[in-house]
Amino acid sequence: MKNMTWTKTSFAGRTGEKSTLLRSLIAGVLALVIAAPAIAGPREQARRIHDRLAGVPPTEAVLQQMETQVAGGNPVAAANIAMDNVNFYNVTLKNFAAPWTNRDQSVFVPLNDYVATVIGMVRDDVPFNTLLSADLQYVGRSGVVGTGPAANNNNHYEQLEANNVNLRDDLVPVAQSSINGLPSTATAGVMTSRAAAQAFFIAGTNRAMFRFTLLNHMCTDLEALKDPTLSPDRIRQDVSRSPGGDSRLFLNNCVGCHTGMDPMAQAFAYYNYPDVEADQPGAVEYTPGNVQPKYFNNDLNFPQGFRTPNDNWENYWRRGQNSYLGFDPNLSGQGTGAKSLGEELGNSYAFAACQVKKVFKAVCLREPEDNPDRNAVDTIVNTFRTTGYSMKQVFADTAVHCMGQ
Amino acid sequence: MNNVTEHTMQGTLRSLKGAALAAFAGVVLAACGGGAPTVENPAGPTGGGNTGPIYTGPTARDADVQRFQNTFWSDVREQGSCADCHNESTAQGPMFVRFDDVNAAYDESLSVVDLQMPGQSRVVEKVGQGHNCWSPDLSVCTSLMTRWIQNWAGAVAGGGRTINLTAPPSKDPGASKNFPDDASSFATLIHGPILTTYCSDCHSSEAETPQQPLIGDPDVGTAYDGAKSKIDLDDPAASRLVERLRNEFHNCWGGSCPNSANTMESAIATFAGGITATTVDPNLVISKALRLVDGTLASGGNRYENDQIALWEFKSGSEDPSIRIAADTSGVAPALDLNLSPEVEWFGGWGITLNGGKAQGSTTASKKLFDFIQSSNGLFSIEAWVIPANVTQEMARIVSYSAGPDARNFTLQQTLYDYDYRLRTTETGLNGDPALSTPSADEILQATLQHVVATYDPLEGRRIYVNGSLVSNVDQEPGGSIADWQDTFAFVLGNEASGDAPWEGTIRLVAIHNSALTQEQVTQNFDVGVGEKFFLLFDVSDVIQAAPQSSYILFQVQQYDTYAYLFEAPHFVTLDGSSPMGIPLQGMRIGLNGDEAPVGQSYSNLNTTLDATLFGELGQSLSDLGAVLPLEKGPQEDEFFLTFDLLGDQSFVRVEADPLVISPTDLDAQSEIGTRTFDEINATFAAVTGVDPNQTDVDMTYQELRQSLPAVEDINTFLSSHQVAIAQLAIEYCNALINDSTARAAYFPGFNFGAAPATAFGGANRDLFVDPLIANIVGNSRSGPQTASQPAFNTVYNELAAAVGDGNRPDNLVDRLMAGGSSTEAISKGVCAATLGSAATLVQ
Repeated sequence: MKNMTWTKTSFAGRTGEKSTLLRSLIAGVLALVIAAPAIAGPREQARRIHDRLAGVPPTEAVLQQMETQVAGGNPVAAANIAMDNVNFYNVTLKNFAAPWTNRDQSVFVPLNDYVATVIGMVRDDVPFNTLLSADLQYVGRSGVVGTGPAANNNNHYEQLEANNVNLRDDLVPVAQSSINGLPSTATAGVMTSRAAAQAFFIAGTNRAMFRFTLLNHMCTDLEALKDPTLSPDRIRQDVSRSPGGDSRLFLNNCVGCHTGMDPMAQAFAYYNYPDVEADQPGAVEYTPGNVQPKYFNNDLNFPQGFRTPNDNWENYWRRGQNSYLGFDPNLSGQGTGAKSLGEELGNSYAFAACQVKKVFKAVCLREPEDNPDRNAVDTIVNTFRTTGYSMKQVFADTAVHCMGQ
Repeated sequence: MNNVTEHTMQGTLRSLKGAALAAFAGVVLAACGGGAPTVENPAGPTGGGNTGPIYTGPTARDADVQRFQNTFWSDVREQGSCADCHNESTAQGPMFVRFDDVNAAYDESLSVVDLQMPGQSRVVEKVGQGHNCWSPDLSVCTSLMTRWIQNWAGAVAGGGRTINLTAPPSKDPGASKNFPDDASSFATLIHGPILTTYCSDCHSSEAETPQQPLIGDPDVGTAYDGAKSKIDLDDPAASRLVERLRNEFHNCWGGSCPNSANTMESAIATFAGGITATTVDPNLVISKALRLVDGTLASGGNRYENDQIALWEFKSGSEDPSIRIAADTSGVAPALDLNLSPEVEWFGGWGITLNGGKAQGSTTASKKLFDFIQSSNGLFSIEAWVIPANVTQEMARIVSYSAGPDARNFTLQQTLYDYDYRLRTTETGLNGDPALSTPSADEILQATLQHVVATYDPLEGRRIYVNGSLVSNVDQEPGGSIADWQDTFAFVLGNEASGDAPWEGTIRLVAIHNSALTQEQVTQNFDVGVGEKFFLLFDVSDVIQAAPQSSYILFQVQQYDTYAYLFEAPHFVTLDGSSPMGIPLQGMRIGLNGDEAPVGQSYSNLNTTLDATLFGELGQSLSDLGAVLPLEKGPQEDEFFLTFDLLGDQSFVRVEADPLVISPTDLDAQSEIGTRTFDEINATFAAVTGVDPNQTDVDMTYQELRQSLPAVEDINTFLSSHQVAIAQLAIEYCNALINDSTARAAYFPGFNFGAAPATAFGGANRDLFVDPLIANIVGNSRSGPQTASQPAFNTVYNELAAAVGDGNRPDNLVDRLMAGGSSTEAISKGVCAATLGSAATLVQ
């Protein structure tokens, strides 16, 4: 954010002058009503594609180029033109990813490493199934802002945003490990970004990282994945088996989520973020070989529960009802640390479908509502999975589906 | 039989070390080591009571008899009930309380006492059956009798107690009828015609004084839950609902208890007849079956009770109003029994649940605490096993010895995540303030089972231990005397004596000691745990082709709460000294009443090999995990067995559940258009005006308005406040554009901003301003191609610059603004802002 100073008096003066205008204008402003055409032609379709992807209207010249492509039967080319607009990166993608980076799922957060990495990966067509596992971070081109990227603060990204730096042209990829100092094998894409660590590794038990990754990238909360029939053998000691003296709560509710969550959240056993205020310096912490103390919080709640010895994780959801999430049969379903867990999640059908559904919502401004929509989503998901996990392709295909008829 | 000496219950399975369990039945294993340090318990306090005539018979012939005389014989004699008959005068055999010859009494007592399993002694069984039990609550007699024997046994064994692993009866899992989830049949056959008709005056939440169980509650689900444990599906006549009528004549109707009982039995039989028995899948690899009560009692370990002056274990479970009490089973007279208010419910596995109610002793009986603690120079401890129902209640009394909200001797209470310890001394107030609390930031108090000990020592002050650890900071008010205590206060659990500080939660045990327990003593009692525990031996001899009744999977099992069991510490053990090796075991599950329990199978991923070379004292440990399994019929009825995916050479191929199939459903048609959101609006304004969004005034205004602009595209969420913010931002952009002479000249070529409004907007000059404005902002120009999804050029032009009022509509915007006498620049900004902040840019 810019460093702005003004006096209350002077600003009030400006505001007062304009408020007179404001009062006289609002009625007139609202009088302009749009009548959407029953049938959209190539020009209207091109306009909608641009509006939805770039977030801003096209210039007449761009509109004509896109109209020509649409009329020529190549609307994806038109979408690619729209995605060349800087606002696709600075506005659409930034606000697409911002809610994933905080617990409130608010879009009103400063630009951060998580968001910038999503923007960069989309721009460069980096296979998006590596989002949760790559040793990758996007930073501003050297010298574009005064402060370089750092492990323990967000100043670099806030300056990029305050200066309205062109994120289409001035983001460059670097190894995340070169910024945060983690071993490359300990990086896990955006999960080990500073923003995600600050939001989801702070305090608590690190289950937040797992839950919010599910919410943001598998498009489901734990409630929908409750499976009490799985073994509770990895549920930690802090989960009371008789909350308030009533084990029905555990047996009917708690157990359903924890059976699957706890064995996978074990992947984060060596990660932490210091318990400091959001505006204070802080960096992701990694303690290989030493399980974070938070994994033993309230360990006397149920001493006969699972005591975390390491960061080995296992995906119990490969069995039973939740196998519908479609985990990659070429992976083993178990591993060590966050990176391999990120690969497990990132290569699932649910991950791919989630990305498409999020794009559908962002571009079509609605949920898939009927068979044609669902079929389109299925087609786009399959294309996404079989052609290198290109998010640009997903945006383009989706914008074409929703460009109107 | 295999004997294992027990010190601390919780520590037993983990800590027993020494000789391997390769002993034959009947061999006694060496005393245990490890675990928490233990202190030998001397004989329990026996103060008060009728000591009778001074013993003048022969002296004890040896140390064993002397211990007998000092403990059991003395305790039973003082109590008097047994002594009244089983003596040399009345000559009722066995004369184990004869007054004339303690050696002869000793010899007689050996026939009625089991020192290795005190709870299974003949005398305990007899008083438990009501044989001259001196209390209306049979559990009081069994508890005290067991305690007296334990005192004797403890003295014999040097503080330890003995567990005997005996082969249970061999029984295959049987077909079992289980309660259906659907209560409709119960409602039709039992609840409607009988329970609501004859039992709801008391056993209903709507009764004037609700009595548990709520079998007559108008809510069928509540009644069903309450009635399950009172119905025996396999033997309707044995149902508690029938027995209460037939044998105990409890509120029969129609003037005939036999008829009432027959009616109830018939209804239950019909209900049970409609339930198909669950049979064990013949393909499963299974062990033999056991009930909880078939196990070896494992509780009652070596608590530190040397200075215990009161103890409540809440074993009764009786709903008979005449004995709905929590008995003080410390054996220290006078007994401080607590009356339970109607809101108090019994908690399965021993305990009481307080939901606004309280358990209170009389002030007379409570004086015992005053007397004993005063006599110990003020040293005392409050010990409790509690389960707070939540972490939101404040100033809620758990254990209190007080008069009301303003005066107390001591109180242990809950405030959110803290335990507070209030104590009246000469250094604190009459109300026990300031309290000593556990550190709030540590969130010590959790809504789960916790062991809490609050001690007081006039030199060291107050201390609070939770789950065996000292968690309080140094008492800032030490050194006080309790000389100011009042002996007229009442001891109460779960509330203030005045009833205005209720605590919600469950209490499973409370003890008062007239000493300040040390860390070691606290640890010892924490390790012992709470509740009744059993060792269950599941016979797998057949499966692994071993000698009959030789090889077992041993579990420690307890009723965990009202609704579940806890299985823990599984071991592979043999009782015949055999040493099987190399037997694979995979996927162990616990079966319950004919089927595998649907939830809580902590051992289903177990993959190990049974190997006698790994035997410790209790055999080969298979897992450190515990399993919480749902209670179905109750501890007397539920039948357990084990299943295995692989054991030895027998296997069961398990079919995994199918993936969830999600059937899509069409949604209601949704809008295909939406509003631009905050950053999109800002970028759009910048794009169509050419104004740099970083321009100071513009950026300042945007940052101020950012969160007042639409945050989501859904057009249904658009508010008038959004439009106000949009208009403000539009004005700022137009202000920046028109104040910049270079930018405006490029944007509006030929338009004279310096001329008077009448000239600048006169005639065709007006178009020099309006035409580029519409073309840039709306996207449709006068002569270019029209985008049909945007407002048509002519429509917008008409609104801005051409329409003439006709009574149905006002003049165009330019003319109206000109009529107001504004300057050309002001009019320009107004028209610009009206266009920019319109739906032409807002809607996408």
